[in-house]
Amino acid sequence: MSISLENKISTAQNLTAALSRVGDKNNVFGFDMIGEALQFVEIEGLPTNKHEEFKYCNVDAVFRKEFKEINNSFSEINMPPVVVDAINVYIINGRFESVSGKAEGLVICDLVAAQKTHKEVVEKNLGAHAKPTSSVFVALNTAYCQKGLFVYVEKNAKIDKPVYIHYLTDPISVSVINPRTLIVCGAGSNVQIIDDYYSKGANFFSTHTSEIVVGENAQVKHYKIQNEGDNAFGVITTEVVQSSNSVYDAATFIFSGSLVRNNHHVRLFGQNIEAHLNGLIIGRHNALIDNHTYIDHAMPNCNTNELYKGIAYEKSSLVFNGKIMVRRDAQKTNAYQSSKNILMSDDASIYTKPQLEIYADDVKCSHGTSTGKVDEDALFYLKARGIGDESARKLLLQAFAQELIDKIEIPSLHDKVLELFEESLK
Amino acid sequence: MANEILEEHINSEYKWGFTTDIESDTFKKGLNEDVIRLLSHKKNEPEWMLEFRLKSYRYWLTMKEPSNWAYFPYPKIDFQEISYYSAPKVKPELASLDEVDPELLKTFEKLGISLEEQKRLTGVSSNIAVDAVFDSISVKTTFRETLAEKGIIFCSFSEAVQEHPDLIKKYMGMVVPYTDNYYAALNGAVFSDGSFCYIPKGVRCPMELSTYFRINSSGTGQFERTLIVADEESYVSYLEGCTAPQRDENQLHAAIVEIIAHKNAEVKYSTVQNWYPGDKNGVGGIFNFVTKRGLCVGDYSKISWTQVETGSAITWKYPSVILKGDNSVGEFYSVALTNNHQQADTGTKMIHLGKNTKSTIISKGISAGVSNNSYRGLVQIKKGAVNARNFSQCDSLLMGDKCGAHTFPYIEIKDKTAVVEHEATTSKIGEDQLFYCNQRGISTEKAIGLIVNGYCREVLNKLPMEFAIEAQKLLAISLEGSVG
Repeated sequence: MSISLENKISTAQNLTAALSRVGDKNNVFGFDMIGEALQFVEIEGLPTNKHEEFKYCNVDAVFRKEFKEINNSFSEINMPPVVVDAINVYIINGRFESVSGKAEGLVICDLVAAQKTHKEVVEKNLGAHAKPTSSVFVALNTAYCQKGLFVYVEKNAKIDKPVYIHYLTDPISVSVINPRTLIVCGAGSNVQIIDDYYSKGANFFSTHTSEIVVGENAQVKHYKIQNEGDNAFGVITTEVVQSSNSVYDAATFIFSGSLVRNNHHVRLFGQNIEAHLNGLIIGRHNALIDNHTYIDHAMPNCNTNELYKGIAYEKSSLVFNGKIMVRRDAQKTNAYQSSKNILMSDDASIYTKPQLEIYADDVKCSHGTSTGKVDEDALFYLKARGIGDESARKLLLQAFAQELIDKIEIPSLHDKVLELFEESLK
Repeated sequence: MANEILEEHINSEYKWGFTTDIESDTFKKGLNEDVIRLLSHKKNEPEWMLEFRLKSYRYWLTMKEPSNWAYFPYPKIDFQEISYYSAPKVKPELASLDEVDPELLKTFEKLGISLEEQKRLTGVSSNIAVDAVFDSISVKTTFRETLAEKGIIFCSFSEAVQEHPDLIKKYMGMVVPYTDNYYAALNGAVFSDGSFCYIPKGVRCPMELSTYFRINSSGTGQFERTLIVADEESYVSYLEGCTAPQRDENQLHAAIVEIIAHKNAEVKYSTVQNWYPGDKNGVGGIFNFVTKRGLCVGDYSKISWTQVETGSAITWKYPSVILKGDNSVGEFYSVALTNNHQQADTGTKMIHLGKNTKSTIISKGISAGVSNNSYRGLVQIKKGAVNARNFSQCDSLLMGDKCGAHTFPYIEIKDKTAVVEHEATTSKIGEDQLFYCNQRGISTEKAIGLIVNGYCREVLNKLPMEFAIEAQKLLAISLEGSVG
């Protein structure tokens, strides 16, 4: 069955036809939820760049492609070598495939199974944080996701090895994939999660939607590595909710992609919460990489920090749109945001839109953004010491990025990312 | 100075809220092509002007009213419920001040711009030439002769249409075309008057030029147009002040200001905007939806906007600079203060097209009461704008826990040689700062006045002397009662 995404939307108009999918035993969502999602898609339609949230992110390119819906068949996946000692989870073409390794207090399975074994947790959280009506892409994901991933860290469990989730995509034909993830970290738990998006130049569009629940006193480290080649399109939504005294520390590294739109939202429903969002983005060729972050300070005494750095080569465009919301009750909030960018080519462009929306008075919030080229003085200094132009530039870019790469606390992952970074500068 | 502030504190309310009983010639409410024809006829305008108005009007009809994009709901404006022309019944051409309606002169005296006084002081170079716009009509322009000697044209827009049609035809709509936005199109159709200023080649304007706007009649809107053209190697500093009477209806003010700076010219435009902000419960007040834009058309030209915004129920205002000439400079200094139910959404756009262009943005927002204050700005570096440089700083100060302060900067960079920096902070007045003042015998209210003035100094310093004093007082008064 070959359908373009537009057709997909128009089929959405035919609700009865679409609802027949409810019978799909691999979709975890019920009749009502899928109905709601499809109805939302029908009403909203797809965003254009007249839409404020998609001002710089033209998703039209996605719809010019004829996407085939994915079948179970896929070519042999070229798995990248596993370098990190971890509990490995494989999501292949958007479906949960397998898990190797286990740890005490850790449950990893597909969402359909989890619905039986962890009914309460799934019912309470799934679709509650990434509501189908929050965006068209989440709605599409809700309606069409199959075999989602469920990760559950029990109360007070400390998972020593990181949970390494491999999102491998390599379909035979141009496809839409709809991976779905729910990660629930119980109170007092401690876990490291690695999302590794990898593809060897496949042509696809992903609506990956994750929900991450960070319980009271829990500590979650979340690394994201996006390196899916120049034909990958994706609108990726990550919804994080945090309870009191928890720490969520995220670092995103993007090395390739044709159109990557990351919506990283963190909601602080508690006090004394700490959240960090960091990102390093390398734009090559014609890539459009759009990072939207949103931090919602709903309660007092929370600290959040954001640092995003971008390097734009060739004809790439980088977008950073960061929003910090401080609600009326969120007194004593500290929120900082910083975005720094380097333009490497005359055809590259950078759009930044750091936003503060503040309704409480006893707060300290600031944002800063700067965009420029490689510092000529620094370059001269290095050249004067006999370092060639190219090496000198590379050195300076490395210095620019090091701060973010060093946020990775797993040595083997640190080296892998550093290697990817160095490769992407070539 | 401090005593004055204290005094002003005590008699809080909006002190410019009086109305003047002047017989005025006001159109019936409503808007259609006939109204525009009548307006044009009344002003004895040439055919091309009427054409421009009708073109704007027809375009306006095809446009949709912008709504829901900002944070605040506001009552829908019924454009048929507005009278598009209101003029004091005085002869349009006045030979001397004696002919001006004495009531009107009193009004201006109350406003603190005594035209009489100014007349007497002719010849003092530090003086200010004033063009007073009452409701929609320019009432009197002072110092015209003095300025004419230097070849400077400073008159009402209507007069300019009659006397300098070539200049108007050439420059009107050059920076803000009628197709620009909804309110610009409306203004193009119904603008009644405004000021026109032309500084010829190589002339440095010897005095500050000033326009004073006042809305007086009820049920009217004010739609004026200001056009400033600075020819090569010239300089002018221009001031604009606005007040309106207290009314419990919302009145619309949709103005256009266009500035054109040729090679090596410099224009400094300062505004103290103090339209009626509505009462404590948010009833009434002016909707201030204006389009202000400057074009640095020549190399090495400079346009600088300084604004102190304390009035209006709702302000949408983004004085912008298009930096087209190489090495041109754009500046924006703003203090926006909102209290009670006021809503301000203001900022700037700096569009860099030329090489080595520079822009600076300093914005200071202060919110008190239950008001919302937003900075919304755009810095755009187009491809080919080699070595463009921008620095932006937006600070917000929150007074009380019911107000909001927001920052929405848009930064778009398409040239790799650009260097762009943006900083924003939000904070409140520190307890320690207040304690320090209290300890030295300065009351909390006075201390806040001091701290706010210190916070705004960077911007206030950019204002011409006379305005700086007025602005400082204004800030103190507007904050009255916000100490919690």
